[in-house]
Amino acid sequence: MSLATLAQSILNGLAAGWIYVLVAVGLTLVFGIMNIVQFAHGEIYMLGAYCSYFLIKVYGFSFWEALPLAALLVGLLGIVLERFFFRPFRGRFEPSIIVAVGLMLLLQTTAVVGFGTDTKSMGGIIPGVLTVSGITLSWDRLLAIVVGIILVAALFLLIQKTKVGQAMVAVSQDPDAAALHGIDVNRISTIAMVIGCALAAIAGALMGSIFSTSPFMGTSAITKGIAVIILGGLGSITGAVAGGLILGLIDGLIPPLLSPTMAGIFGFGVIIIVLLFRSRGLFGHE
Amino acid sequence: MSKGARLVKPASYTALVVLLFLVPLFVKGAYFLHILIMAGIAIILTSSLRTIATTGQISLAHAGFMAIGAYTSALLVMKLNFSYWVALPLGGIAAALLALLVGYPFVRVKRVYFAMLTLFMGAIIRLTIMEWRGLTGGTSGLLGIPPPNSIVIPGFLNIAFDSKVPYYYLILALVLISLLFLHRIDSSCVGRTLLAIQQGDFVAESVGINVTRFKVFALCVGCFFAGITGSFYAHFIKVLTPDSFGVLQAIYLVVYMVVGGRRRFYGAILGAFILTLLPEFFRILREYQPFVFIGILLVIIFLLPDGLVSLPEAVKSRIKKVPEGQS
Repeated sequence: MSLATLAQSILNGLAAGWIYVLVAVGLTLVFGIMNIVQFAHGEIYMLGAYCSYFLIKVYGFSFWEALPLAALLVGLLGIVLERFFFRPFRGRFEPSIIVAVGLMLLLQTTAVVGFGTDTKSMGGIIPGVLTVSGITLSWDRLLAIVVGIILVAALFLLIQKTKVGQAMVAVSQDPDAAALHGIDVNRISTIAMVIGCALAAIAGALMGSIFSTSPFMGTSAITKGIAVIILGGLGSITGAVAGGLILGLIDGLIPPLLSPTMAGIFGFGVIIIVLLFRSRGLFGHE
Repeated sequence: MSKGARLVKPASYTALVVLLFLVPLFVKGAYFLHILIMAGIAIILTSSLRTIATTGQISLAHAGFMAIGAYTSALLVMKLNFSYWVALPLGGIAAALLALLVGYPFVRVKRVYFAMLTLFMGAIIRLTIMEWRGLTGGTSGLLGIPPPNSIVIPGFLNIAFDSKVPYYYLILALVLISLLFLHRIDSSCVGRTLLAIQQGDFVAESVGINVTRFKVFALCVGCFFAGITGSFYAHFIKVLTPDSFGVLQAIYLVVYMVVGGRRRFYGAILGAFILTLLPEFFRILREYQPFVFIGILLVIIFLLPDGLVSLPEAVKSRIKKVPEGQS
């Protein structure tokens, strides 16, 4: 592998990694606060991609207008999902899996019926490449990395510096104790779901603009998202960032060396080994 | 219990089995038999998944272990000219051996982490099949798997697998044997032990139960039947592709189990049967058909979070509830 390929592979890996992180922080927030593995999170990501596709191609918005709008629309959907689908099953593992899987199939089938099974392209955000001393780096990947870093940094600030953020931490530690201290657990669940959905929508929009959209794009996203939060530790945002970047780099570096399938085997293999020695993941709590 | 009442249960089971054996006489369409066969496959898979779940572990690798059985059996028959009737149990044994191998490290990981660990295990099995093109045909699939060898007893019996009917009888036999075996475990002292482990690892351990060994045992038994089912599936469908054994298929099995209700043995059977059969009556809806499955799923789980088996209790508690102001 030449130096130029190596640089491009690392960049691809980091771009994929930050997109995984955006998907995973939502999953980990919802798990931490509602104790639910949100299998439909991949479909939220897919809806984000379609939302920005329609905003750009049909309604003529620019990418920079479409990105926050898609996050807003999908975030609003999050309110509905939390209230009517997940709140009745908060903390009940098995029925909540069924609801999440039902929702996943519902959104996916709706997308197939509504948008068709063909892939749609919304055109690159910023086409072209940046050339630094003979190494070409594509702009859209650099952009995905920057957006990812900014949003995750904002989320960290929200959680550490605001009252809502601290309430989220409290609920994830112990919902009953939090409620006894006057925290509205339902409201915090809604907020967590909205943030999670909005971030997934942005991840979907970024991925959709780098590649293309398809009704089935959520399946790989949810697998990666779950892999990331398990590797990083359920409920930990630091863990989601670390896990996302590790898996992103594996997905960037292994395919040019071996094959994309090997990247999958390698990535899942790493997680299994980590779990066997440290069953709460890299940054999780018991 | 009177003698008559004691006979009702075995009598009704016998009647049901006789009825199931008579089905091909009434059902002429190959299509409906095909659906029944697929329902049979789902029943064994879901029931064996329940045996694993009895220890409080949800496995999402069940489709992967089914793939191990399917590919083992198909390859033994195709490359090494094994008889199908030898390859069938070997498919199950291969899956059980893999379960034994990964079982000891895996079962130490608890609850949701175990589910996720098995999810990745299933994904790795599928990806390995995709990557190992020389042996498995990769994504383009393993084609031309022969049907089971004919059962011939000279001058008396000659069953060739050239229509859906013999396959129906074969899966019916497999379903009955598997269910008898799994039910035997469930109602034996081993079953009680597994249940004790589900309710609390530490308590079970403190009364001298070797928790790890029983969990691995349950995993191996469950995976054995997944492997057997995989072997049947391979020689029934005759084409194997890694996508038939994806994560989604594994999740579907958990859905069948939970929707049916995990607390009772017949819950898994009920869930698998209803959720595979009912949507077929709505084929007329074409691309809208999946909505039927989703609808059934959500309605059941919202009304009966403990699954269909909790229906009698739910109805009873509804009726018994004293109307307000009358107590």
